[in-house]
Formats: sequence, C-alpha cells, structure tokens
Amino acid sequence: MDSNKKYWKGLEELNKTPEFVEKNKHEFAEPIPIEDVLTGGGLAGSTPRRDFLKALGFGVGAVTLAACQKVPVHKSIPYLIKPEDVTPGVANYYTSTYEGHAILVKTREGRPIKIEGNPKDLLAKGGVSAQAQSSVLDLYDVNRLKNPKKDGGDLGWGQTDEFIKSELAAIKAGGKKIRIVSSTITSPSTLAVIADFITQFPNTKHINYDAVSYTGIIQANQNSFGKAVLPHYNFDKADVIVSFGADFLGTWISPAEFTRQYVQNRNNKSLQSKKMSRHIQFETGMSLTGSNADVRIPVKPSEEGLALVNLYNAVSGKTLPGSKALKNNSTADKAIAIVAKELLAAKGKALVVAGSNDVATQVLVNAINSLLGSYGTTIDLDNPSRQYAGNDAGFVEIVNETNRGEVDAVFFLNSNPVYDYYSSKDIVAGLKKVRLRVSFADHNDETAALCNVVAPNHYYLESWGDDNAIEGYYTILQPAINPVYDTRQAEQSLLIWSDNAVKDYYTYVRNNWDKNLLSKGGLSGQSGWETLLQTGFVKAAANVSGSYTFSRDLNAVAQTILDHSNLLAGDGSKFELQLYQTVAIRDGKKANNPWLQELPDPVSKVTWDNFAALSPADMKNKGYQEGDVVTIDANGYSVTLPVLSQPGQKQGTVSVAVGYGRTNAGPVGDNVGKNAFPFFSLRNGTFQTSATAVLTATGDNSPLSQTQTHHSIEGRNSIIKEATFTEYLKNPSVETGKGKDHKDYSKNNLFWQDYDHPQYNWVMAIDLNACTGCGACVVACSAENNIPVVGKAEVGRRREMHWIRIDRYYSFNDNGKGGVTKETEIAKLEDLDHVKVVYQPMLCQHCGHAPCETVCPVLATVHSSEGLNQMAYNRCVGTRYCANNCPYKVRRFNWFNYWNDSRFENYLQNDHTLLVLNPDVVTRSRGVMEKCSMCVQRIQAGKLKAKIEKRSVKDGDIKVACQQTCPANAIVFGNANDPDSEVSKALSSERTYYVLEELGVQPGVGYQVKIRNISESEA
Amino acid sequence: MRSFSLIFKQFSRSVLLIAGFAFLGFSAYAQGDAAKGEALYKAKCSACHKIDIRVVGPALGQIVTAETDDKWLAKWVQNSQGLIAAKDPKALKIFNEYNQAGMTAFAELSDGDVADIMAYTRTTWKTMQAVPAPGTVAGQAAGTAAGQAAATGPSNLVVFSMIGIIVLAFIIILVLNKVIARLERLLLKNKGLFAEEAATQKAPVDRLATVKKLAKNKKLVFFVLLCGTLAFCSWGWVTMWNTNIHQGYQPVQPIKFAHDLHAGAMKIDCQYCHSGAYKSKNASIPSLNVCMNCHKTIDRALNSKTASTEIQKIYDALGYDPQTQKYDSTKARPVQWVRIHNLPDFVYFNHSQHVVAGKQKCQTCHGQIQEMKEVYQYSPLTMKWCVQCHKRTKVDFKGNAYYTNLEQVHKLLGEHKPVSVAVMGGIECSKCHY
Repeated sequence: MDSNKKYWKGLEELNKTPEFVEKNKHEFAEPIPIEDVLTGGGLAGSTPRRDFLKALGFGVGAVTLAACQKVPVHKSIPYLIKPEDVTPGVANYYTSTYEGHAILVKTREGRPIKIEGNPKDLLAKGGVSAQAQSSVLDLYDVNRLKNPKKDGGDLGWGQTDEFIKSELAAIKAGGKKIRIVSSTITSPSTLAVIADFITQFPNTKHINYDAVSYTGIIQANQNSFGKAVLPHYNFDKADVIVSFGADFLGTWISPAEFTRQYVQNRNNKSLQSKKMSRHIQFETGMSLTGSNADVRIPVKPSEEGLALVNLYNAVSGKTLPGSKALKNNSTADKAIAIVAKELLAAKGKALVVAGSNDVATQVLVNAINSLLGSYGTTIDLDNPSRQYAGNDAGFVEIVNETNRGEVDAVFFLNSNPVYDYYSSKDIVAGLKKVRLRVSFADHNDETAALCNVVAPNHYYLESWGDDNAIEGYYTILQPAINPVYDTRQAEQSLLIWSDNAVKDYYTYVRNNWDKNLLSKGGLSGQSGWETLLQTGFVKAAANVSGSYTFSRDLNAVAQTILDHSNLLAGDGSKFELQLYQTVAIRDGKKANNPWLQELPDPVSKVTWDNFAALSPADMKNKGYQEGDVVTIDANGYSVTLPVLSQPGQKQGTVSVAVGYGRTNAGPVGDNVGKNAFPFFSLRNGTFQTSATAVLTATGDNSPLSQTQTHHSIEGRNSIIKEATFTEYLKNPSVETGKGKDHKDYSKNNLFWQDYDHPQYNWVMAIDLNACTGCGACVVACSAENNIPVVGKAEVGRRREMHWIRIDRYYSFNDNGKGGVTKETEIAKLEDLDHVKVVYQPMLCQHCGHAPCETVCPVLATVHSSEGLNQMAYNRCVGTRYCANNCPYKVRRFNWFNYWNDSRFENYLQNDHTLLVLNPDVVTRSRGVMEKCSMCVQRIQAGKLKAKIEKRSVKDGDIKVACQQTCPANAIVFGNANDPDSEVSKALSSERTYYVLEELGVQPGVGYQVKIRNISESEA
Repeated sequence: MRSFSLIFKQFSRSVLLIAGFAFLGFSAYAQGDAAKGEALYKAKCSACHKIDIRVVGPALGQIVTAETDDKWLAKWVQNSQGLIAAKDPKALKIFNEYNQAGMTAFAELSDGDVADIMAYTRTTWKTMQAVPAPGTVAGQAAGTAAGQAAATGPSNLVVFSMIGIIVLAFIIILVLNKVIARLERLLLKNKGLFAEEAATQKAPVDRLATVKKLAKNKKLVFFVLLCGTLAFCSWGWVTMWNTNIHQGYQPVQPIKFAHDLHAGAMKIDCQYCHSGAYKSKNASIPSLNVCMNCHKTIDRALNSKTASTEIQKIYDALGYDPQTQKYDSTKARPVQWVRIHNLPDFVYFNHSQHVVAGKQKCQTCHGQIQEMKEVYQYSPLTMKWCVQCHKRTKVDFKGNAYYTNLEQVHKLLGEHKPVSVAVMGGIECSKCHY
C-alpha cells in the first residue's frame, strides 16, 4: 500500500523553482568542462604540429625524469623499550569521561583515534553525541597553545609560577578581590581544588558562568521548593511530554541521555508492546526536538509564556489574573485545551518542560508539573543534575566589580565571556582595570587574548580528573595520551599557585577518591582504584525521589510573564527574535572543529554558517530570496546574516543560532557565521534568549551551503513511509503491507544474477521511529573511516563526502486523513508553518542486485559473498557511472586529493592532525569513488577475533560505527543468516520496508515505518 | 713375616697418602669434585656469572681463585644478605662495588656443593689462562673462514683456476689450429698447388661481400630485426611488469643481525622477538628491551675474547653502559631499521590472521629465514602471489569452533572439496582492500 502523501526535501523542490529543476537534470552541480572542450572552440582550434611535438617531447621527457626517482627507502623504527600494554597494530581502550558521560577512548600505538561510548554509561548506555565523537580531533589541533604565555610572549612554567605567586601574594596583602570564572564545573576534585585555593586566598570567589544558562530553572526550583538545583528529568517515565521550546533531543541539558530515554517509549520494542509516548512541542523555530514531536505547534516567543499560563489555567481549573487567549494563534489555543486534557489523563506519567531561562516561566512550569504529579516520577529533585550550575547574576556582579576596580585578579577556566557574554564591551572595559588576568584556555581565545597570563590547560584526553553529571554518578577521567604540548592541567596550576600540600593533581584526585568517592561505589584502596579505572565510574545508591507540591502564589509570577510577553509582542510590527543553539556547534566552544562545522544542521541542513530563519510566508511578504543578506537589529546590536526560508518557523519570528562568529577560535572556526550572543539580554537576573528585531535587506546575497537540496525525491513515494499510532494499532503492517498485498520485488530479476551468502549476510535495520536525526552517526563515521572535510564552497558544489547522511523530508500536515493533494496545500501558504518532518539515515544500501556494480567498467565495485557491496579504490578509474546509476545517491567522488591539495586546509593534511586517522582504513586519492563499506574493517576484525578465540561470531560482536554511537539505538547491524540475531528480528517486524524496493535492487538496509502518535481529534 | 710387613707397608702408605691428601685439602682449599661442580655451576650460577668476564655478577674465575677462605665463600653463597646484614667488611665491600645488587641466597647448597663449584671454577679458570689467547682467536678465525667458504659454495680460487684452465685451453686450441693450417699449406705446397695463394689474398674482400649479400636478403634482415624487437619488447615487458616489485631486496641494516644465528643455530622461536605476529596485524620489530633479555649477559660471540661491535650497537642505542650496567635515557637513540617488506597502504594485511587462524609458517612468505645471514625479500608480495596462495591453500577447519557452522554450510553445498581460502571468500576485494 503506497501512500500518496507528498514528501519534499526542501522548498525549492516543493515549488519547483527553475534553478532547482535545471540543477536536478544533471548528476553533478557543475557541468564537466570536457563538454566545453568538445562542443566549443576546443576541438575546432588547431594545434600547430610543432607545438604538438614540443608538448609531446616535454611530456615524455618529464615523465621519464619523474620515473627516474629511486624507490624511497622506508625506515622501520621500533620502540626502544616497548610499554608492556602496547602491541603495535592492536587498539587499547581506556575509560574516561566526556561531559559526565562514561566513555571509552580507543588508542592505537598510544594515540587516541576514536571516542566510543561506555556501554555501561548510566546516561546514554553507550550512545555518544556528535560533540564527543568530534572531540578526539581537537586533541591534535595545531592551534592549541603550546606553552604558557605572558603578555603574548612565551614563558616557561617556572617563571609563570613565580610571577603569579608573587602577584597573588601582593594581591592578598592588598586585600582586593580575586575571582574565578568557569563554565559549570562538574568535577568534585576540581571543586575541591578551588575550595582549597579559596582557603589560601579568602578574598576569592568562584562563579559558574554558562554561555547558555539554566539559571532560570535552578532559581525557580529555589523559589518553588527551596532547592536550588537543576532537576534530573526522566523522559522514559513520561507518557505525555509537552515541551515549550526545550530542545531536549538536540541541545537542552543532556541531549544524548534524553534521546536514550525518549526513544525508549517509541522504539520497536515499545511499539510491539502497543505503547508509545506522546510528545507535543510548542516552539518558534524548527528544532530537532520539534521536528520529532508528534504534534508541533509554532508559537512566537511572546506567546510561549502566555500559552503556559493558559495551560496552567486549563490544568488547574483556575484562572490566573491577566490571562487571555493567544492573539492570532487559534491553533495553539485549541492545542492547549487538548494538551491539558491529555496531561491530566496521564497524571504521574506526564512531563512539561520549557527551554526558557526566565525564572517566572520556570516557576509556572513547576506549578503545572506539581499539579500533574510529575515530581518523584518524571522529575527527580533529589538526584539532581549537576551539568549546569551557571549563576547569571553572579557573573554580572563580577563584571560590575571589575568595572568598579574592586578586583585585582581574575581566572578564566573553560569560559570565554569576551565572546559569549551579551555585553562584551563591559567585560573588556572591566578587564582593563584588573591587575592579574589569567586564562586557562588551551586556545588563544577571545578572553585569553585580553589576559596577561595564559596558562594553557591540558586537553581532557591528557588529563586526570573526575565528573559528576548527576547526583551519585561519579565518572573518572584518565589520560589516554601524554600531554602533546607543554601544557599543564589548570587544577595543578591552582594547586601550585595556592601552595597546596599536594602539588600533583593526580595524587590530589587519588586522595579525593580514596577519602570521599570510592566508598560510594563500595570500593576501597588500590584494588578499588584499579577497578574504577576499568569500569570508569561508581554509582552510589540513588536518593529516594520525593514528591514535591507547589504551594506558592502565582499571581505575581503570571504578571511578570504577561509583562514580558507584552514587551516582546509590542505592536506586532517587529519580528520576534529567537536565539538558539545548533545541534553541532552549541555554544561555540568547539567552533574550531571541522567535523562539527561540516555536520549539516539536522533541520535546515546548512553547514559552515549561521543564518536568519524566516517562515516562507514572511519571506514572500518581505520579498526575500533564499540567501539574501539582511541586517538584524535588536537590543542595540546588529549583524548581517543570510536568510533561510524555514518551513515550520512561526510567522513573524526570526531564529538565529548562537555559537558562530568566533574571532579567536582558530582557522577553522574564525569568521564562520556571525556572533548572536550580544542579542542576549539580562532580565530579572537571568539571560534572555528572545528579543524584538528589525530586519532590513542589504541587497547582497550570500548562498548557504545546504546539503539536503542536492538531490530530488523525483516523486517517488516509497522512500519514506509513515503511519499514525492508531493506524499501527489497527494494523501493524500499515504502509508496508507486509503479509498480504505486499508485492515481492525480490524476484524482479531481469539483469542480475543471484548471489549466495553461505556464511554471513551482513544487513542493517534502521528504525525511523527511533532515529531523531541528531547526526552523531555522521561524525562517528567520519572518525572511523577517515572521511575528508571539504569546506563550505565544496559543500555548495554538492561535494560533501559523508558516507552516511541524514535525509530530512518535509510533508504537509494531513490531519490524519491521508492523501492530501499538493495543490490544495500550496494554496494555503500558512500550512508551511505546520509541516511534518521525517529523518532518514541514508547510506549505501549494499544492494543484492546493485545497479552500481553492473555499470562499473573496471569491476571496481563488486558483490561479496557476505552481502556487501565492495569498493576497491585502487581499481577505480573514476568514470562515476556508479554514482549516476545509484538510486540512493550514496556514492561520493573524490574530486581532489583532499589529503595533500593545498587548496584545502584539511585535517588530513597536517602532519599533526592526521594522527587521528584510523590506521586500519586507507585514505582515498583523487579520482576514485568511495562509499559506506559497512565498516568492513570492523567485520574483518570481529571475524578474526572469533577465529583466534576458536568460536563462532556472536551476534553483537561486531558493531558498526554509526550503530555504536547512536544514543537512540536506531541502527541494528548483523548477520541475516542467523535467524536469532537482533537484526533478523528487527527486519522481520511488520514495520520493515525497503527504500525503493520496487526497483528490484534488493537493498540490504531495511527501514522501519515512522509512527506518529496522532489521535484523530486534533491537529 | 715378609708378607705381613708388606701388608703393613701398603697400609701405612695408604694411610699416609690419605692423611697427606687430607692435610693438603684442609690446608689449602676444601677439595671438591669439579665434574659435580660443573653441573651445579650451570644450574645455579651461570645465569648471572661467567668465569672470565663480568656480567650481572663479577667474573668468578679470578675472584674465586684469589679468595682462599672457602668457608667464607660458602657462607656468602648460602646467604650473602646475612653477611651484609652482619656488616662483614669483605661482604660490604663487594656489595658496594657491585651497585648494591643483592645476590640470590642459595641455602639449598651445602658446603660440599659450594666446594664442588669452586673446584670447577678454579680448574676452568686455570685452563682458560693456560690456553694462549691468540691461538684461540686464530683457530676461530680459521674456523669461520672455512665455514664461510662452505656457506658460499665454490671459493674464488676454484673459480679463477677454472677460468684460467678454460682460457689456456682456448689458447692451445688456437695454436694447434694455426699449426694444422700451416702443415696443410705445406702439404699443398708440396703437392704443387701454389695457385691457391693468390685466391687467398682476395679473401677479405669476399668476406665483406658476403655481409653485403646477406644484407640484401630482405627475409634475413626482417628476421633479425624481428628477433631484436621481440627481445627488446620482452625485456621491456618484464621490466615494466616487475616495476616496484622488490623480490630479493636486501638492504644493509644498521645492525648486522643474523637470523641464521638466532633462529637457525640458536633455535630461538620467531615469536620470541616478533611477538606481534601472533596477536596483531604487525609482526613488529622487537624493541631493544627484548634484545637485552639475552644480550645483557651475552656481549660477544661464543669463545670470543672481545665484545662484539654489533652487540655494542644495541647498548649504544639504549644508552646502556655494560661496565656500570646502567641505562642513560638521554643517550638513547632508536635503531632505524630499513623496512624490507612493504605492502602498499591500500592493502590490509594481518599477521595473526595468517599465522594463528591460518596456521601458516613464517617461512611460507619469508623463506628460509633461519638460514639467512641478512634478510631479503623472499616473496614478490604481488596481488597475484597473494591470490595464488589463497586459491591453493586449504582451510584447516580442524579444532576451530569458528568453522563449525561454516563447515556445515559447505557440506550442504556439496561442492568445493577440499575448501580453499578462496572458496571461503578469501579472494574478494574487501577482504584486503578497505
């Protein structure tokens, strides 16, 4: 049963813009110049005989000379004294921590090459975010500071220590203030070091400052329940989830963990037990979370608070003073009524979250959650999260103190306020009055550039330490490599400067664990420490999660919210500006990472830039074209950014991502996009992420490099299949038609011989209902398979090299009726606000009857007896016929020698950064095709391990890189010949279908139909 | 009476003899059995001591001969730490002289055992000193020369004399031919056939004419040219075909490591040094600490008086001083071996796959390595060579549970008997190229 629902990859495809139609006639974005040669003056022009002979002679001579080169002598240099645990060619894994997640660091010959999840990690159970995957590359960043600096000049550690100690002594004697500014510190040992430092210098105060802050929630919990904590949310325990602008799958607090929790109630297992959570999202711009929601209601930032007030009224049955219906947003009004009913029905299993950093808004959210009985079930205040503890007002106070000249020393630890503080000029002015300014930054970042001493910190892969992401969960950070440069751990510097009895931070951590933490996991002594280093964490018994009742008066709170609302809304003539973080770049601390810059944004598919997202209706009203550069003016600051027409964006709003526009990040991140942090404002002691803005066109056009418009869906309807939960309950094989009227295309065998797969048949199953589209797999694949980064211009030419991409398809909201024709939908442009999104990871399908194989003239791509579509790079001559003939467009052509072409500043080129390459996978040269190999190096390694251990390959022994990193467990890989394997079971589910199955290519990757929990009653 | 006195005489003699021997023994050293001592020495002492040179412990020959107090020696051997603890001055001196490295206590050795060992040590040291040193060296040199000759086959002398004989034979044949020609001419002269003389004078002109005549024969010219072209082409083909194939490549290595000595004569298992071959894709060149396992005590060739310069290179690389037995890491410089076996980067080769899973011998690819003085590339390392082997080699299913299921698969297929690596998919692209 094929649905006739229309899917489209982008607006240009929907509207069939002439440009798009023209581009899609061709396989490649730019015509091949050979055609010019053949048709233009190329052939007509005569080459004189003498010239021809000259060229020939020179050519032969040059080639002969070049061939005279001797074969290079290769040196083989063994270890002088080999460390006992290193075997060249065999990877070692070390437990460590990334942002509170227990991870494993894969090292080869002593250098970390890949981050993998610790399967026992409490938060994401082995899932690893794109950030963590990419973090290994930053270790080899050549732009890291290589030694301490004073006033821009190099200095040894001894002199640095001498200088700072004498300064500190003088400051202590002078009695002026010392301030330590850090982003939230979750490490118990670091906090202890700072506490010791404060004991030595009692005038010191430590403030956590987060660029994107959660102070609002912490403050609200203080006001509501007397507990100033960031609660631990349990999305897995919620049947109904309502989010007001909280992008909890993409960027909010702990996205990898929340993805794992969220998917638990929506994956195959849950569906087979006839259970699926319901998720309603109210938001302005289209976020990753919003695009995954069952129902998404676009609201303006000014309407968000009002909507919450209305929801509170509907849930409590009371009416807060000043509450009113949303102006011009009847959809939201309707939705609130339905949502309230559903929430009440799911009492105790409901969860309302809001992304706002406004205290009043969060207090109201607390009130609603209290009414829904969420405390003790879906919200845990007794085992709180420690991931964010930013104190906005506290930091503002420090800025004021510096400006008043009260501060004599300030230390910046993993914080860069000169870049990400909303009023950067205040801090710049204030810093001038501070006598001793020390930054621990490992780059000469915006703040470090204004400091007189930079004492570069170790990278986390070189450090000892610990982490405590949520109460009772302590992870250990251990170095996986010796420090690459002459850096020193910030904690050690603080220990030395404060004349601590323990000068060595490792000893300090050890002591701290021996004394306080090991016992929490029932461990002790040397053996306990060794166990810890192997397991990576200890887990103390959880506190009993108590139930909390909200009992405060809400009138004042509602009034504050409404005031803010009115202020933002104004007279409605201006745009409302919403600031958000992208899934890849987040707050911009890792802007210098090329893997993250090239990771397409899940929704907009834009790489290497930020932009102003407008709704298609506003684009039309304003007469903007995609990529038109506009000036955005808000809060007394303005930037120019290209506009992007974003279906789903609320009309009258514009969304801009923060984290871009770095000026001192390094060559990769500098001047990519524009800085949007100055649009922040301070209100009631917290940073606010919305403002009113004026947009004016500059007349320029700066095309964005998007990836999703590179191919057309060509009107094929068998690519994406989705169904509603109600339909699924009635008939689990809805859409796939398995069992009855499903046509068997596998016998569609006109051109191809059948292959036997006597031993293994490696296949994959991807659950579209579990995949959230976060893109962690894309980065994991890049790290595993040495995939080059090509840069903005090349992405614009459709030459990105990712072996796996996340396709994002839009469709109109068909209100569950199905089969809405496109014409009637287009008529109502408003409907572009209510689009549905489906994500589909697309990689080589390893077809049984692969069209690429038949057209390869040199047999460079052939079928293996294990069901793989093999690609022999060294055989490929680069005809690109295979890419032309691939219906999935998953083949990638090497247009350049990315590893030695001077036109690209590629990580593959640098002698230092190329140490991150996986030695088991070759780098490809110019002129050859490449594509997903199904991590054949891992398959081979898994089989070899089994052979050596004299056992069969067990299901789950071999995990491919994308599967391993997926926090949602959406990807299952295995042997289809084994009927008991996970993948066989997944593929036999009723929801399984194969993309473009009707072509008869017998794809090896099965997808499971996307299910939406939409009831018939509402939009 | 006579007989009685005879018996008495004999008796008294023997008593005297025994008494004399006993006196001698007790006064000088406690007399031990050198033969017994040798066995004990090899079992207990040789790990740390040598008779003539200092290794971990001092050279025993001199020190034991100089030391006469065997009781003290026995005490030292049985419990040297006890003596040191008791602040015995002699013991303390030795202890400090040898880097305060404690000697293992051999409480199990009785005084008699120690005496045996001492006897062996002293006699061996005596014989060592008796044999003139140059003689040994010369003898050894002669031995090695002969050995070399045997190893390289016919000596240069044989080759040159053969060449000489051949040249001589040629000269004789030429001279004889000349003589025969003269005799024939004389014979003809005698017969009165003088006219021939004029004809022979024209002969050189005729010879040139033959060449000219031959050059006019187009068929012949074509044939010659064809042969030349064919020869050139086949030479070109072979040269091109073998471009970048370095079979027989035998570079000079920084240390003249002899596989024939280590793997051949000494029968050291390949795994001892190339431990990676059984665990990893790399066989791995041993790090120098592996060399030092043996070469800490062996610094010279067998029976050599002087330390080997090649072994000294190991010490230099490590910054190791054999005199003080201390390492100086600041002087350490890694050894830069020249890599002989180079597979291109786009080939994945795993040693453990072949050696452990595939049960292949090292020699299959590396040749008779235990006979190579210097290692050379034995195999061409071409894809053809790989594929050929994969086609010919049968998979050994026995005793490996990995193949249990797969074996059934092949039984079901009822073909491909016996199963080669290729049948198992061993010649598919992505088995080696990824």
